Amino acid sequence: MSAAIAQSGVAAARALQGPARGIARCSRQQYLRLRAQQQPFRPAVRSFSAGARVWEKRYTEDHEWIDTSDPESASIGISTYAAKALGDVVYVELPTEGTEVNKGDAIGAVESVKSASDIMTPVSGTILEVNSVLEDKPGTINSSPEGDGWLAKIKISSAQELDALMDAEGYRKFTEETDKK
Amino acid sequence: MIVWNSACRSARLSTRPLTVRRCLSQRTLDRLTDPVQSYISTSRDPYLNLSIEHFLLQQSAPESVVLLLYVNRPSIIIGRNQNPWLEVNLALLDPSSHDQSYSEPPGLGAVDLVRRRSGGGTVFHDEGNVNWTVICPSKDFTRDQHAEMVVRALRDCGIDRARVNVRHDIVLDQGQHSLTIGSDDTHSTPYQTPEADARKPLKVSGSAYKLTRQRALHHGTCLLSSPNLNIIPHYLHSPAKPYMTARGVESVSSPVGNILLSNERFIASVQKQFGKLYRSIGDAQEVGDEWQEHDSVRKGCDELKSPEWTYLQTPQFSISNQSDTLTDVDLELSVRNGVISSGFCGTRKSGYSGAARTGLPAGLDGRRLHDISSWDDELGGSLPSVSHDRVTRLCKWLHMMLPPPIGRPNTHFR
Repeated sequence: MSAAIAQSGVAAARALQGPARGIARCSRQQYLRLRAQQQPFRPAVRSFSAGARVWEKRYTEDHEWIDTSDPESASIGISTYAAKALGDVVYVELPTEGTEVNKGDAIGAVESVKSASDIMTPVSGTILEVNSVLEDKPGTINSSPEGDGWLAKIKISSAQELDALMDAEGYRKFTEETDKK
Repeated sequence: MIVWNSACRSARLSTRPLTVRRCLSQRTLDRLTDPVQSYISTSRDPYLNLSIEHFLLQQSAPESVVLLLYVNRPSIIIGRNQNPWLEVNLALLDPSSHDQSYSEPPGLGAVDLVRRRSGGGTVFHDEGNVNWTVICPSKDFTRDQHAEMVVRALRDCGIDRARVNVRHDIVLDQGQHSLTIGSDDTHSTPYQTPEADARKPLKVSGSAYKLTRQRALHHGTCLLSSPNLNIIPHYLHSPAKPYMTARGVESVSSPVGNILLSNERFIASVQKQFGKLYRSIGDAQEVGDEWQEHDSVRKGCDELKSPEWTYLQTPQFSISNQSDTLTDVDLELSVRNGVISSGFCGTRKSGYSGAARTGLPAGLDGRRLHDISSWDDELGGSLPSVSHDRVTRLCKWLHMMLPPPIGRPNTHFR
């Protein structure tokens, strides 16, 4: 809202915005001019959908998830679907804190049933923290892949990348299609 | 077998100067897009063979299937997340670098140590073992399908005791022929014995996998005629094991045996079964030393040979001589990413009271374990309150458990 305020008549415009705090000190002509200058309220589509997006997990086609409830420090991990397919996880290789990564980079690996499987980051950014619980208890990925089994926390550098990811419903349909093939 | 053209032959006959660089031919690069590809390596270098394999994983067309067969000179291949100090008797790898009293058994000479990129446990490669690799699209991947293919190849050669077991390995059943089972099922044979029977199946092939976003790699060994079966257990038994607590992946030991088939016959049979499975008739392309000159392959080789990859990739572990009766200076070291990160020292007489313990001997904190070539040099002056004899005994123990690493990997060919 405050961004729409014209430079001229700032004080009067301020008075127009907030709850009435005393008398607006301008003439009717000034008032009408200022009101005409103000942009009609048009909520940005992005901010509205960002508000809804912020609270849900998003998924990639490689079966990673990202949780942006805290926009400064998004958690990432692998999905329940992926954890089931992998089998019992016996070792987790985690990224180093402070590493800068690009979307799709391999940031670690998981070993299960003699297989080393790469884990890719769903977004670009900087690794802030890794889940050290997985060093002692790699099986946490199997017991709680989308909760306690988070892999790392990342500071997202480009929020637009989230738009390309699937929501929970979209991911569910994607995995059903994958299973049918 | 591909007939060598005259340019290749003359190159092999003379010593090629290092300045002569040959890139992979365009034909070779084009072949990476073929839907079905078959390769056989002429090199015995484990670093090169594994790098060619990795190159094929990364560069072959996403929908293609690839077969690669190769034989390595004597080498120990550990899994990506394994601990070389725990899995391998490192002192045996370079007999020339230490006391003769250590060098049992004789005859093998220097043995390479290689950390591969796939998971799984430790295996011993030599000229009596043929390695097979199949790369396919991730969506078509199952852990058993290509082991089943190799079992069909073995059965085609008359090895009807071969089957795939629950660990995706190939075993030879040791029982009497039972007339009740007779099927094409690659997971059972007429020679299977009940669980409790002493005649356990012999493992002849172990599998490991590397899974990426689009591609799945399955590789395995095949013990055909190794002359070293009696010696291998010495190499794969580390004296440090009882003293270590380690994260990472431990090997699962199994009794092994030779199939007793020639390499050539096995290779031809696997190539035939691969062609049958993917409905393709075509010659295998030879790959070898010239691939070393391709940037990507050379970088891969350099990475596999680097001490950073071999040692610093090791999951966290600690080693303590608490249970050893011959040393009486306690030492515990914690090693993280191959670097000594913490530890303590203390004389046993004083028990474990805090006062008797000191921190890490000076100069050890932050040291890369594989950089330490002499424990006497490291500890000699660092424990002034401890008698020379005790320090010597401790250093001798450390030398046995954490021996100085071998020199650079072998670069000469056998």
